[in-house]
Amino acid sequence: MTGWRFVLRAASGRKAEAVARLTVQQQLAYKTDFLLRSSFLLLILFVFVQLWTAAYGGDSAKVISGFTMKEIIWYLVFTESLTMAAPPLTAKVEEEVKSGDIAVRLIRPMSYLGYHYSAFLSEAAFRCAVHLLVGSAVAWSFVGAPDFGFGWPGFMALSLGALTVAFLLNASVALCAFWVEETAGLQFVLQKLQFTIGGMLLPVDLMPGWLQRVCAWLPFQAALYLPARAAVHYDGAMLLRFAAVQIGWIAVLGALVAFMYRRGVRKLYVNGG
Amino acid sequence: MEYRLSFALLAGMMFVNNLLWLFFWSLFFNRFPVVNGWELRDVMMLWAVGAGGFGWASVLFGNFHRIAAIVSSGQLDVYLSQPKPVLLGVLASRMSVTAAGDLLFGLAIYAWVGDRSLAGACAFALGLLISGLLFMGVMLIAGCLAFYLGNSEGIASQVFNSFVSLTTYPADIFRGMARIALFSIVPAGFISYLPIGLLRDFDPAFAAGALAMAVGSCLAGAWLFGRGLKRYGSGNAIAMRS
Repeated sequence: MTGWRFVLRAASGRKAEAVARLTVQQQLAYKTDFLLRSSFLLLILFVFVQLWTAAYGGDSAKVISGFTMKEIIWYLVFTESLTMAAPPLTAKVEEEVKSGDIAVRLIRPMSYLGYHYSAFLSEAAFRCAVHLLVGSAVAWSFVGAPDFGFGWPGFMALSLGALTVAFLLNASVALCAFWVEETAGLQFVLQKLQFTIGGMLLPVDLMPGWLQRVCAWLPFQAALYLPARAAVHYDGAMLLRFAAVQIGWIAVLGALVAFMYRRGVRKLYVNGG
Repeated sequence: MEYRLSFALLAGMMFVNNLLWLFFWSLFFNRFPVVNGWELRDVMMLWAVGAGGFGWASVLFGNFHRIAAIVSSGQLDVYLSQPKPVLLGVLASRMSVTAAGDLLFGLAIYAWVGDRSLAGACAFALGLLISGLLFMGVMLIAGCLAFYLGNSEGIASQVFNSFVSLTTYPADIFRGMARIALFSIVPAGFISYLPIGLLRDFDPAFAAGALAMAVGSCLAGAWLFGRGLKRYGSGNAIAMRS
């Protein structure tokens, strides 16, 4: 029995790897799309540099809630790189449910959620790496080189957990397509929650005390704030605490997504084909 | 209005979406109360005039940011067989449901923090007109690239996202060349300065310039569309509009 489980697990790992490889190849095929997306990141970061320079009055030595202007700009490079890396999972699942393509996915010898997780993770990791390169070029030229010590490895260490939490949050909205016709509105709201209380636009440390306490009980900061904060303010003990928070949310959200999937797929009817 | 619940959900979500942006700005201004002369109320009015302008333009002329897709996919053939003017037919043949939420949001924010005197209401109405016309003009010009470049959907969508983003940040955070570009090549500044130049400290020269830019960009877009139509080869797509 244990042997069979091992064989099954190894086969499932190989399938996930194949999906990841195909997804990255697909990304490389659409170079123009990639370049356009990166140019948008350049623009957004340029706008943020202008905004935060105005907010700090151009004073690079000023420290607000533990952040200098340079740290804020680099923080935004990390949060933007992660945010813009996430593929449009909700739109994909909604399209599969509406068109009936989900029927083909469900009969494939691979878990439906596992397939989407592999595709999401590989695409997001690839995009995130490119975005970091582009974003670093902007931040470096405006506020100088990053000197965060172990900040980079800290960011890398929490990125996998961050992308997994992002996947689970998006999957919980995407699976609503089993019950409602349009999930775009819900996706918009989720995205804006990540932008605001997730700490994408503003580090949680700069928010009022009451909101920081609320954010601590929500999963959004595990996807953006924690890895970006670990990058610009590295601390070994803090890194472990952040990793534990991510693992906790992955367990909770994972259970929610698995429950939604089991309930949703049971009431799914695909007509025609 | 056949699907009232769906309409309410989509429009409502867009309303909430915009509200969450204002929530970010309220956090930002809580930490930095005045940034280059801008306060929270000014940014709220910026969102009111921007979202409201985009809203009415998308409700009445919902195809204005889909010109590139329509041209490059050959869907323009359908409109060529309909009564003239072609451009008006293309623009008005779609209504954006989510944009109704933007329009309502703009009006609600104005009612909340705007100047509700007659002069204030007229200035706000003018702001909505300028903003809507500018969104349409810029997207029309970007969409017409499809007549010359073929598949330019990606570029048009990038212009759309960039232009919308630039209109949502205070114009006064930009300095030097960026500011010049904002009032010339990428005329987003004519929207993002409206809360100051039109609504707070009325500047006749700015208001006249913004109106001229808005009307001018629409006329330029219409002219480009007319020129593009002469170059247009049928997409040969046999399809019916549903």
